[in-house]
Amino acid sequence: MNSNTRAASSTFWKRTPAFVPSTVEIVYSGSIENAPARAAPSAELSAAKQQLPPSPLTPPLDKEAAQPTTESPVPATLSTKSTSDQSSAVAVVPGDAHSLKFYSLLTSANVDIEELRKQSWKGIPASQRSTAWCLLMGYFPLNASRRQQTIERKRREYSDWVRQTFSRGEASLDRTLWHQICIDVPRTTPGSPLFQSPRIQRSLERVLYCWAVRHPASGYVQGINDLLTPFYYVFLSPFLASPTNDLQHQVDALDESTMGTVEADSFWCLTKLLDGIHDNYTHAQPGIRRQLVKMKDLVSRIDAPLASHLDSEGVEFIQFAFRWINCLLMREVSLTNTIRMWDTYLAEPEGFSSFHIYVCAAFLLKWSKQLQQLDFQDILLLLQKPPTESWTAKDVELLLSEAYMYKCLYHNSPNHYSAAPAAAPAAAGHKR
Amino acid sequence: MAASNDEYDFLFKIVLIGDSGVGKSNLLSRFTRNEFNLESKSTIGVEFATRSIQVDSKTIKAQIWDTAGQERYRAITSAYYRGAVGALLVYDIAKHPTYENVTRWLKELRDHADSNIIIMLVGNKSDLRHLRAVPTDEAKQFASENGLFFIETSALDSSNVEQSFQQILTEIYLLVSNKAIESSQDNVQPGTGAQIIVSSADDYTKSAGGCC
Repeated sequence: MNSNTRAASSTFWKRTPAFVPSTVEIVYSGSIENAPARAAPSAELSAAKQQLPPSPLTPPLDKEAAQPTTESPVPATLSTKSTSDQSSAVAVVPGDAHSLKFYSLLTSANVDIEELRKQSWKGIPASQRSTAWCLLMGYFPLNASRRQQTIERKRREYSDWVRQTFSRGEASLDRTLWHQICIDVPRTTPGSPLFQSPRIQRSLERVLYCWAVRHPASGYVQGINDLLTPFYYVFLSPFLASPTNDLQHQVDALDESTMGTVEADSFWCLTKLLDGIHDNYTHAQPGIRRQLVKMKDLVSRIDAPLASHLDSEGVEFIQFAFRWINCLLMREVSLTNTIRMWDTYLAEPEGFSSFHIYVCAAFLLKWSKQLQQLDFQDILLLLQKPPTESWTAKDVELLLSEAYMYKCLYHNSPNHYSAAPAAAPAAAGHKR
Repeated sequence: MAASNDEYDFLFKIVLIGDSGVGKSNLLSRFTRNEFNLESKSTIGVEFATRSIQVDSKTIKAQIWDTAGQERYRAITSAYYRGAVGALLVYDIAKHPTYENVTRWLKELRDHADSNIIIMLVGNKSDLRHLRAVPTDEAKQFASENGLFFIETSALDSSNVEQSFQQILTEIYLLVSNKAIESSQDNVQPGTGAQIIVSSADDYTKSAGGCC
């Protein structure tokens, strides 16, 4: 967790009595989520939320209340038992129309996915994010009556895989793959106490290994470990309810079934995410190369002077933007800001594979003026470590808005993305 | 247009290669910023840093490209070998497989880098004495047989980091100077050793670089 997250956290952990609408049964909505310095809904929401002790025995609101307790003989850390299932945890606070809107959306018998996307674009209230993400990812069925059954089955499926995969000990694992995962997991979000928890690290290893062996075309590629962290963060949020300094103890105190569901849900959401961008990680990484071409083309249309300066200095997009695409800008913005970005990505059609390029272009353009004064070396040094430490959700939202504007202007332009020279009228209108 | 804030006599491009987790990024940060981070994130693609040093009253600027160690990234990172005049091929003295892979990395360089690139074999993490898996003499001999310079370093306790970069940059400088002298004298001087050029693709034959 970065410094601004830590700084902001003290205000988010205050226990504040929650308003509970008479029609709504709210019991649990602790959160480790905190959008720093954000005046918008989610900060207020976090502060105002009811914070019950993080007892694993306290069930969250569950619209499919009576869940079957499936006894599954899985390894110690995994179970499909869902007595403390976060899947349908939904909470609301007073006077927050956005949050209320989400509540009604997420609890309807058939989730209106278009409306959910529309609402999510502007950011999802932290307390409702985990359910919203699972629905937007296509992991949870939209139909509430089928949901619990499907989720149970998927969780069981994952835990069966884990059992099969790891039952014969480490010696039976693919050595190269396992080694790579084991050296990367400890350096995943190294500043965050959550991801330094040994229990979480063992869990990350299992998810990454299981995903990799089921996707041999790519296998595990460095950076995929980064992409897993937002899911853990969001799915664990409802179960971790006090300041971050004893986060490890809280994680250790979580019961097996909770950890099991968080792990399984993270696995499935990672799978869904990577399904859409798999060719970013296959041999020679064609997806990234293609997007780099698109990004360069886009930047040259939006900001020709910058593009020509980069060109004249010998700066190639692959030198700085490769990582932006490979890790979805997670190395450039904080985890909390990434989570906010993903709300919008999930709301966008092809958010991670297509909209992301507009975001990358907008991100580069943030420093256009400055970059045009710099030489090769200083350009790369700036772009390798862009000054985003103080970025808040507001900065991210501005970035997303700019990206959206570029998308509207260029996405349907017939010449956009084509290798052919730009048609003059298409580009001319956008110069500022 | 571009404001360059530093003057230099020579600009040498160096690449850092080797298996994942051997400490390439920390060697770079130790040399360029005198920093070490036990929990640094994995390198994705390539990362870039520079530092200037003095050799023979000349300012030599090293432009160093740190690469990702995972095999999947080789297709991308090999593009960065172009124009490199030096390579630090790093392994972990406490992890024998990383030393075994040195041969594969040498092949990578032969396939993608300029043929006259100067290569230094670097056994990193020399502070892990109790865990040593690669004997110094063995690596030294391998280096000698393959025309590589050799050094053991510890990015953690700083030992030999400065020396490793100093030495490879000095060797490159000497070769470049030799080349310059030869050009100025406009005659052939057989037996003066390897020659190296920075930006041209001329095909000079590299003689053995020797070993320390």
